Amino acid sequence: MWGTCHCSGCSWESPGAAVATARGALRSVSVSLAMRCWLAGQGRGSGCTATAAQRRGSLAGCRHQTTTPSMPWAEPGLRRTRSAAALRRLVPRRFSMAAVFADLNVAGAPERKSLQSLLEAAAHLGYSTVAINHVIDFKEKKQEIVKPISPSELFPSLPIVQGKSKPIKIVTRLTLVVSDPSHCNVLRSTSTNIRLYDIIAVFPKTEKLFHVACTNLDVDLICINVTEKLPFYFRRPPVNMNIIISSAAERPLELRGPYDVANLGLLFGLSESDAKAAISTNCRAVLLHGETRKTAFGVVYTKKTHRASEEEGVLPVRKKAKTEV
Amino acid sequence: MDERAVGAAAKDAVARTHGDYGLACCSIAFTVKYLNAYTGIVLLRCRKDFYRLLWSALPFITYLENRNQRYSCFFHTLHVGGTIRTCQKFLVQYNRKQLLLLLHNCTSEEERQSIQKSLLSCCLKEVEEEQSQSGDEEDDCAETD
Repeated sequence: MWGTCHCSGCSWESPGAAVATARGALRSVSVSLAMRCWLAGQGRGSGCTATAAQRRGSLAGCRHQTTTPSMPWAEPGLRRTRSAAALRRLVPRRFSMAAVFADLNVAGAPERKSLQSLLEAAAHLGYSTVAINHVIDFKEKKQEIVKPISPSELFPSLPIVQGKSKPIKIVTRLTLVVSDPSHCNVLRSTSTNIRLYDIIAVFPKTEKLFHVACTNLDVDLICINVTEKLPFYFRRPPVNMNIIISSAAERPLELRGPYDVANLGLLFGLSESDAKAAISTNCRAVLLHGETRKTAFGVVYTKKTHRASEEEGVLPVRKKAKTEV
Repeated sequence: MDERAVGAAAKDAVARTHGDYGLACCSIAFTVKYLNAYTGIVLLRCRKDFYRLLWSALPFITYLENRNQRYSCFFHTLHVGGTIRTCQKFLVQYNRKQLLLLLHNCTSEEERQSIQKSLLSCCLKEVEEEQSQSGDEEDDCAETD
């Protein structure tokens, strides 16, 4: 069914599956971040004829908000099992809340007009969030990591998402094409402009780097290009991995609607719920992870104790953002 | 836009995505039921069992070819319904929403008045509409933009 809740009380497979990154390492972060899950579905159309009230009633126990899905998804249909060698595109999508679709990879063109038309197309299709991507390739001569352009400066008026009344949200993303372990050092340095980006993604070119990225690096996303033959294979089948799909669109014509992209996920072998999560909930996890990277390496809870000055649960700043609060 | 061009593009995409099997499955009862060149709405009809094949192949269409001229485009699926009637009902609501959006965005005064007139006429008609009966068709219709 289109739209299942991530809380432990509902019929989701694994509440911890809503992990913030594709690495699957931060199992606790998303849950402790009090992520409010939304049922997917867009606000257009007459609404599903299914028992929306029932769904709402069953989820009343959890602190989740639900919206009725508008697209009447039919029966499951062709369910494909995931194969170990199935290559998927880990393109980030902008994340949105329930019924919120995100396209996390929109090529950051230097011209303003083309970017504007791209954003308008994305808003018209129903994407609530879009991440403008800047690719940095270290193979070429040393490139400066420029400051991300603030979206508010570029576009005074953002297009409104179709089906909602809010304007589209723009987030900045940086992709590092790494082919050498020394390139990763830039991630650890705190003096560069990297911190100013909302999402950081890495595009490993070798298998070793892929493993390093999965285990150690402090990135939000790991990119895989599925159009070319990979120079390495996945050691582990990517089960329970959080996968997102994004467009890497440079022109408005290269964008596709969110439901179409979810279908592409089905083609890749994802299950139906995974495919839908690939453009909504997983993307939201990425955004939240990016936010935690900006502020603190984890979640800070403050509890009121009888000693009012005490603060509980402040996490140390660590490279590995494994947090358990 | 041409019905044949759209149909040919869709079949070609299905052939590229799902091979001969997919092409054969989808071509059993495949037609382009409705095409509106001004609004860009296309209604495709296929067998209910194979609607996913067609649906997943639609994003792969990047251009329409008509008389040796290529027009870049993309298909945005708006609605998948079991009968043509449900698709039509959805289309009516969708068009109504689009009119509202147009009203919001339009610039000149005469445009605004004409849109308002059409909005009023279609909203009043809805009140008088009789209840439609659902058909018993075994097909699936995909409404695409």
